[in-house]
Order: sequence, then C-alpha cells, then structure tokens
Amino acid sequence: MSRIGVFVCHCGENIARTVDVEKVAAEAARLPGVAYATDYKYMCSDPGQNLLKNAVAEHRLDGIVVAACSPRMHEKTFRNAAKSAGLNPFLCEMANIREHCSWVHEDRDEATAKASDIVAMMVARVKKDKRLVPITVPVTKRALVIGGGIAGIQAALDIADAGHQVVLVEREPSIGGHMAQLSETFPTLDCSQCIMTPKMVDAANHPNITLHTYSEIESVDGYIGNFQITVRKKARSVIEEKCTGCGVCSAKCPQKKIPNAFDKNLGTRPAIYVPFPQAVPNTPVIDRANCTWFKTGKCGVCQKVCGPGAIDYEQEDRLIVEPVGAIVVATGFELYSITEKPKGSPIKGYGEFGHGTIPDVIDGLTFERLASASGPTGGKILRPSDGREPKQVVFVQCVGSRAREKGISYCSKICCMYTAKHTMLYKHKVHDGQAYVFFMDARTPGKSYDEFWRRAIEEEEAVYIRGMVSRLYQKGDKIVVMGSDVHVGVQVEIEADLVVLATAVQPRAGADTLAQKLGISYDSYHFYSEAHAKLKPVECATAGIYLAGACQGPKDIPDTVSQASAAAAKVMTLFAKDELEREPIVAKVNEKNCVACLYCKKVCPYGAVEEKEIRDRQGNLIRVVAYVNPGVCGGCGTCQASCPSKSVELDGYTDEQIMAMIEAL
Amino acid sequence: MTNTAQTIDPALYAAVTDAIRAEAKKVLEAGAAAAVVGWQAGRRQGTAMPAIITDPAKVAELIFSPACVNNLALYLSKAKKEIRARGRIAIVVKGCDLKALVGLMGENQLKREDLHVIGVVCAGVQRAGAAKDIPLSEETIAGKCRECTVHTPEGADVTVGTLPDLPHFTPVESEELSRLEAMTPAQRWSFWKEHFARCIRCYACRQVCPFCYCEQCLCDRNRPQAVETTPRPAGNMAWHIVRAMHLAGRCAGCAECERVCPMDIPLNLLNRKMAKELKELYGHEAGFEVKEKGPLAQYREDDDQSFIK
Ligand SMILES: Cc1cc2nc3c(=O)[nH]c(=O)nc-3n(C[C@H](O)[C@H](O)[C@H](O)COP(=O)(O)OP(=O)(O)OC[C@H]3O[C@@H](n4cnc5c(N)ncnc54)[C@H](O)[C@@H]3O)c2cc1C
Ligand code: SF4
Ligand code: SF4
Ligand code: SF4
Ligand code: SF4
Repeated sequence: MSRIGVFVCHCGENIARTVDVEKVAAEAARLPGVAYATDYKYMCSDPGQNLLKNAVAEHRLDGIVVAACSPRMHEKTFRNAAKSAGLNPFLCEMANIREHCSWVHEDRDEATAKASDIVAMMVARVKKDKRLVPITVPVTKRALVIGGGIAGIQAALDIADAGHQVVLVEREPSIGGHMAQLSETFPTLDCSQCIMTPKMVDAANHPNITLHTYSEIESVDGYIGNFQITVRKKARSVIEEKCTGCGVCSAKCPQKKIPNAFDKNLGTRPAIYVPFPQAVPNTPVIDRANCTWFKTGKCGVCQKVCGPGAIDYEQEDRLIVEPVGAIVVATGFELYSITEKPKGSPIKGYGEFGHGTIPDVIDGLTFERLASASGPTGGKILRPSDGREPKQVVFVQCVGSRAREKGISYCSKICCMYTAKHTMLYKHKVHDGQAYVFFMDARTPGKSYDEFWRRAIEEEEAVYIRGMVSRLYQKGDKIVVMGSDVHVGVQVEIEADLVVLATAVQPRAGADTLAQKLGISYDSYHFYSEAHAKLKPVECATAGIYLAGACQGPKDIPDTVSQASAAAAKVMTLFAKDELEREPIVAKVNEKNCVACLYCKKVCPYGAVEEKEIRDRQGNLIRVVAYVNPGVCGGCGTCQASCPSKSVELDGYTDEQIMAMIEAL
Repeated sequence: MTNTAQTIDPALYAAVTDAIRAEAKKVLEAGAAAAVVGWQAGRRQGTAMPAIITDPAKVAELIFSPACVNNLALYLSKAKKEIRARGRIAIVVKGCDLKALVGLMGENQLKREDLHVIGVVCAGVQRAGAAKDIPLSEETIAGKCRECTVHTPEGADVTVGTLPDLPHFTPVESEELSRLEAMTPAQRWSFWKEHFARCIRCYACRQVCPFCYCEQCLCDRNRPQAVETTPRPAGNMAWHIVRAMHLAGRCAGCAECERVCPMDIPLNLLNRKMAKELKELYGHEAGFEVKEKGPLAQYREDDDQSFIK
C-alpha cells in the first residue's frame, strides 16, 4: 500500500475563496493509499514547505500531491522540497486546483467537488510514479540573437562581452532597427544616431559577434543548450568579403529614383544601396526588383566601376547552419498604418483620416525622419506635398491604440512621450510655428518623463487638447482637423499644414511565422509571450529562448535596453554551467512490443527517435526497434499518442497512469 | 473499351498462370529469389490458396485464377515471417496487393531491394460465397473489383498479362458509400452500432490484414486495458474505432478483412470512407508511392483545420 501525502493549498484567498480546501483535504484523506492529508494557507512559503518536509518524515510518505497552482508555477519548488526531505523529487506531483479550478469557476460546491476529483486523479497517478533521475546534457555556449535593433545589439554585446560567441541575425541590409531612424530621443533629447551608431559599430567589430545581415531564420531544430539554427543569407549580389564600402557603385548606378523605405519614402536611393550612410555593415545590396541588370540583362555599371570586383550578379541565397545553446528574440515592432486593411483582418484602418491618401498626414516615424539631421530634408521640417514649412501642426495620439473598435485595445506606451518630444523638436526648428496635440490621457510614468511632458506644454508652448479627432480632410492646401475638446465641451476645428499621427505599435508582420519556427507562444496581437508576466518577464515558456525589446510588447529605449541586458544575463546564467540538468520526463520504447513502424520517428518534433538493431550474441540481427535519445527527447508525448501498438511511453505519463487517473474519476 | 459479353474472358488467367510459372522458374534457378510467394490450387475444386515455392521443379503448382483472392503481402508482413529470413523473396501480386506492399515499405517493414515483385494483370476475383469455376460475371465478381483502378499493377519488376475488355459492372461499393453518406449522423451511428454489435471478436479481420502487424495489438493489452476484450457492444465499438483509425491512410483496400469476417460486417465500407476522407482532406491515396510520412504523421501549415471547432 502506498503512503501518499496530500497538501491542499489555500493560495491565500485565490483557491480558498471558491474551493472548500478543508473538505478537499478531508476527502483526500479517505482515498485508498493516502496516509496524510492537510490544508495550509501558503504551501509554497517556508512554513508550508517545512510542513511538507516534516510530514514526509513523520508519516513515512512515499508520494506527494500538492493541490495548488499550475505545475508551471511551483512544481519545481515542491519537488525540491520533496528532495530535501529525502524523497525522489519525481514522486511529487501537483494537482492544479487554481488555474484549472478556482480561477475558472464560481459555484463553490461544484468547484470543491472538481478539486477533489483532480486530487483523486493525481493520487492515482502518483501511486504509479517511478523514481526518475535527471538527465544531463552538454551546453553549446554560443547564443543566437534574432533582430539587430537596439534590443538585439545590446543583448549581443552583453553576451559577447561575457566571453561567449554570438550570432546576430538581421533581416535588413543593416542593423540598427527603428532607433537608427529616430532624430533625438526622449527624455534627454540626445541624438539617436550619436548613441546608436557607436553600438552598431561595436557589434560589428566585436571579435565574439558573427553578424548575418540581410538574413533570416530558415529553421530551428533542437532544444535548450543544443539548438541547430539554419540561417538563410539572402543574395546581396555583393561579395561582403571583397567590398570596401567605397560607395562608387551607388554613386554610378543609373537607377536613382527608388523611394527609400528607411526615410519613409521621403527620399530616394539607387538600386545598389546602403539604407543610410551610417549603415553597418557598410556593404551595399542590390535591390533586384529595381536593378536594370536584373530587369533587362543590360547595364552592369556597378560591376564595371567596382574596384575590388565585389559585384556578383549570380550570387544565390546561402543556408548556414549555426549550433547555439540559447536564443534571444528581438525582432521589434512596426507601426500601425491607417490604410485600408485586408479583408478579414481584425485590425481596421482609418477611413475618416483618408486611409493614408492625404500626403501631409504622416506618422511619427516620418516626422522623425524629417527632424533628423541625416534625414531627407537635412533636419528641416518640410511638408511632403510641397516642401513648405508648416506653421500649424496637429499631433494626434492614440491612433489605433486603445481603440477596440479599430481592433487594438492596448496602449502603445511610447506615443505620449514621443509626441511631446515632437512638439519640442518642431518648436526648436520652427520658432513661429504652433503645435496642437489631441490626446486622451498623458501617460508619462518613468524617470524624468512627466517633467519632460510638462516642459513641452509650459516651455515649448504646445497646446494640448483633451479629446479625439473624428475626421481629417484636405481643403485647399490645408488639412481640416475636426475634433472635440472634452474639457471645455466644444467641437474644435483646426486648419493644419501638417498632421502627425501617433500610430499604434504592433508586432512585425510575420512575427507568428517566426514564433512557430521557434516553438514559442504569442498573444492575439502576435506579441511574443513571456513565461510569467511578473516573475519571468524575459523568458519564453520554451526553455532556452528569451525575449528582448518591442517584440514582446510596446517599449521605449530604456525599457528595451534593460530587458535586453536581462535576457543576456539569463543566457549567461545558462552558459555558466558546462552541463544542463534536464527533466527526465522522456519517452522510452518497450522493445518487446515495438514493431519498428517508426511512426514515432516520423512525428517526433525533436528528432529524438532513432532506429536500433537488436542482435544476438553472434551478431545476427534479430529485430529492429525504435530508440528514443533521452538527451534529445523533449517529453512532448507525441510518439506515445501516435504509436499504434502503444510501445512507447513517457515516464510520468504512462498509459497505465493516464488510465488510472481516468478510473479515479 | 466496351464489352458486349457479360463475363470476363478466362483466357487471361490461363495466360497469367503460364507467365507466373515461367518467371518463378527463372528467378529460382538464377538464385535471384530464395522463394516465390504465390497461389496454388486449393483442395476443393475451383478454390485457391497461398503457396510458397522454393524448388524450381515445383513451379507448376503456381496458378492464377479468379479464386486467388488472398492478399499475399500478409506473407511478408507477419504470417510465415520465417520465410523472410531465407533472403530475397519473389512475390506475386495483384494491383491491390501491390498497394499493400508499397504501404509496408513506407512503414519500414519491407525494403524494395529485398523483393522481386511479379505483378499480374487482374481483371477481377470472386466475391465470397460465389459459385466457383465459371467465368466472372455480375453475379460472382467481388465488390472491390467492379471499380478497380489498378487492374495493371505499376512498379513491379515484371508485369504479366494483358487486360481484356471488361463488361460494365454495377458499382455496388460506391452506391453503398453514397447510401452511408446520405444518412444523418444519428442514422450512421446506429448503422454501425448494429453491425458492430454482431462482432464476435474472432479477430480474423486483424489476422488477415497486412497492416495489422503489431506483435501485440493494443486491443489485447490488459495493463492497462484500453479496449474491453469480451464481445460486448462498448468494447466492440472501441475495437472497431481503433481498427478504423489505425488503418486510415494506410489501408490498401484489398477488402480481405471484409471477406474473412464470419459475421458479414461491412468492414471495407468503413475503410473506404476513411480513405475518401483522407483524399478529400489531404489529397492522400495510400499505396501508390512509398511515402516517408503519411498525412496523419505530419503537420503542414496548409492542412485543412476547418474541422477544429
Ligand atoms: C516615432 C517613434 C519615436 C520614438 N522615439 C523614442 C524616443 O525618443 N525615446 C525612446 O526611448 N524610444 C523611442 N521610440 C521607441 C523605440 O523606437 C523602441 O523602443 C526601440 O526601437 C525598440 O527596439 P527593438 O530593438 O525592440 O525593435 P526595432 O527597433 O524594431 O528592431 C528590431 C530589429 O529586428 C529586425 N527584425 C525583425 N524581424 C526580424 C526577423 N524575422 N529576422 C531577423 N531580423 C528581424 C528588424 O529589421 C529590426 O532591425 C520611438 C518610437 C517611434 C515609433
Ligand atoms: S510507433 Fe511504436 S511500434 Fe512503431 S516504431 Fe515507434 S515505438 Fe515501435
Ligand atoms: S516524447 Fe516522443 S515525440 Fe516527444 S520528443 Fe520524446 S521521443 Fe519525440
Ligand atoms: S472478423 Fe468480423 S467478427 Fe471477427 S473481429 Fe473482425 S469484425 Fe469482428
Ligand atoms: S489494430 Fe492497431 S494495434 Fe492492433 S494490430 Fe492493428 S495496427 Fe496494431
């Protein structure tokens, strides 16, 4: 007979509010094989854990069920407690009566009955638990960072400075991300280029950083400590090793009028180009869609003028395999666009703002390019339509953000601050100009942030109007802004020369595809999900993968950099050990029954299954069976579900245990 | 090709018989195969049964006739497993049998290079219980042969025979399937419930299936017991669901299970329904090429998900 101990946790009020924990404990005590059952306010606290440890000794327990929160939360805690009480940690299981019960039910009697059922099931399971021993696997001390914005660069530099190799993969021809596009940055108004470009150069020159720009993640295999990443290096048409970055090719390229996306299409660039003068690496790329050679087979000017002979029209995409032990995802954000959204998109555009057809209605990033000294206007604020200096500028906050009817309910967090910054930059450049801001609230928590905002109003004379804009339309060369001022309770109409929309921060298009390759989760907007909102804000639920920057949620630079360094610290912690202890929840093959159909091998997402030959002593082949490499197995159980003869089972989740659990109901 | 006659010309079977014997002799004499798996005459007049020939002098025992119903792929997947230990095996297959061989190759049970495949052109075989020794007709031909698309097997090492003109047969299997599909879910459920209730759990269907090659069927397990073993309604239903699901995307359609069932349960109807679903959902047809991964063993982003509610 087993001697199981059941510990029912109140979780303060979290469980006890809806579940009669005393009753659950009393009923558990009556289950066959249960030697001891009790309830306690906070099982995870020090006294709670001691209660458990003492009970193991006093009642000679040989299995434990902690009825509390999700195993994701505290399984480790209680297994460690069991271990220190001398029990094999894998004889301790969690019955989740919080997330699966008290949090989702209201009726106390029903919730209590369900909690008792959950406990009974886990008791049945624990009785058939085996003593398992952790598995150790070696750690590849190399990190992959995906995305070369400030988040990726910071994480890469930190890890590289700690002495580890880093592979930094950036989709665009240059690293830098959005920060490279900004003019001056709140809250101190230092020039973005001046603080960003040195970091970009550091990253490129760091002996421990391998930079792959114009590259994307093709596939991800493996698991924590042992990932295999395939990187697609897109054909640049320029041999990086030969190019000296002299720029002669770009200067001579006859195609000059291609809109430059980096400048939000305000300026132009040639077909062979670097996106901006401070680009890192300073190696151009041929935009094949717009290159005369690729379109007509004639031209070849760049090849003729290139001294070192770096132009290669025949270059093809290359696939590079990089073994790494940890991954930092830092793919950043993109801005919501007010244009018409494709049918079926939950996000809607702004027809009432002209769907992006009014040339002098621009977004914040375009304003940054106008205000940037290295931008298309050399830092002069000029209207895109006619190049005139606007004397009345209306800024509209919360465009797309906090607008459930437009498909987004969250706050983009950075717009209040950068709009305040924009009014200042404008005032500094157009002394006789007037800035108006339509806003719902000013959200300025953060060191020196509220002071910054107050300065925009008090010193730089921006007029803040609390209210929404209902319509924008072109009238002559003006844009009529129709809005309301809720403080005064009147409708306002302003004839503006330029309108700047603070559009919502969204994850990158395609963020979901990358997440699926990585096997990480994301929310309904496609922001990547952290493992725990409070306690694991930079870890993904998938071990060995960490998040940094705006890909996880809207963030300004200080927050982005902090998170990037935090992610780097997590990577370094992982790399501090030579070997990794892994949970021994792995699949095992019953070689007697396995018929080697290899369905398990076909479905295993981790590539953990191999063929194994069983031979007699003379070396004659008797049969072939499946074999699960425990170092590679991720414990997902897919093989178990697919095996027709039920010859492969996950330790801790055997068919016998599952059946016992069902029968306990 | 139209055939005004109502029967299938038996000349084909005679010609194929001669060709099988010649090929068997050739491979055995040349040592290209250690044994030939084929059919021989049964003890009763007009019947046939599986044969394993190792001696070139005995190839005359091999025959091909409308009574050669058995799917011999079974002899390479589990029955008489010992013959495989002898080395390279020659096997005589009809088009439907070949589909089973191909499926088994995709499941790591057979290697193409270990086989010498003698494909026979087959105009059809007898249905169970049909009168023997008369030319095949609407009366006597098996259901599966009426709508057969693999009269001439493809991908064998040699293929013998020439397909004669075939008469038009009533497509009873399609008709049966349409009737099934026209039912409401409730009607369908009671249709199967009634059929399965008759099952006596003799497992003849499992025994004859080339794909039921598990050493220990999950339905025979008792620790834990997943499927009740006694022939009672709940366990019967579970067994038949397991069987249908395990064969989905794999079943070659040889209809051997249905032929051997003593209780006349329309097992192949269920198989065909599953095959149709897989074709419609994933464009998959079992048995035409050795596939590394069948549709149920892989996930593709463009997989139809509409059934997830
Ligand atoms: C108009 C505006 C003004 C702002 N002003 C300020 C300010 O004054 N002060 C401040 O603190 N913050 C400001 N911000 C916020 C700041 O831009 C962000 O905090 C910061 O850029 C976030 O950095 P990131 O690295 O997370 O993302 P990003 O800068 O977006 O960088 C992500 C990088 O990843 C790359 N990438 C994306 N997907 C992939 C992929 N699949 N594979 C490989 N690479 C990929 C991208 O090309 C990009 O280089 C402003 C933002 C806006 C929109
Ligand atoms: S699926 Fe089952 S029977 Fe087939 S090889 Fe794997 S363990 Fe063996
Ligand atoms: S549990 Fe099975 S399918 Fe999952 S990783 Fe392990 S071997 Fe592969
Ligand atoms: S052959 Fe027929 S009776 Fe026998 S187990 Fe199969 S379905 Fe049941
Ligand atoms: S029913 Fe399934 S488990 Fe049983 S023998 Fe057939 S394939 Fe194997």
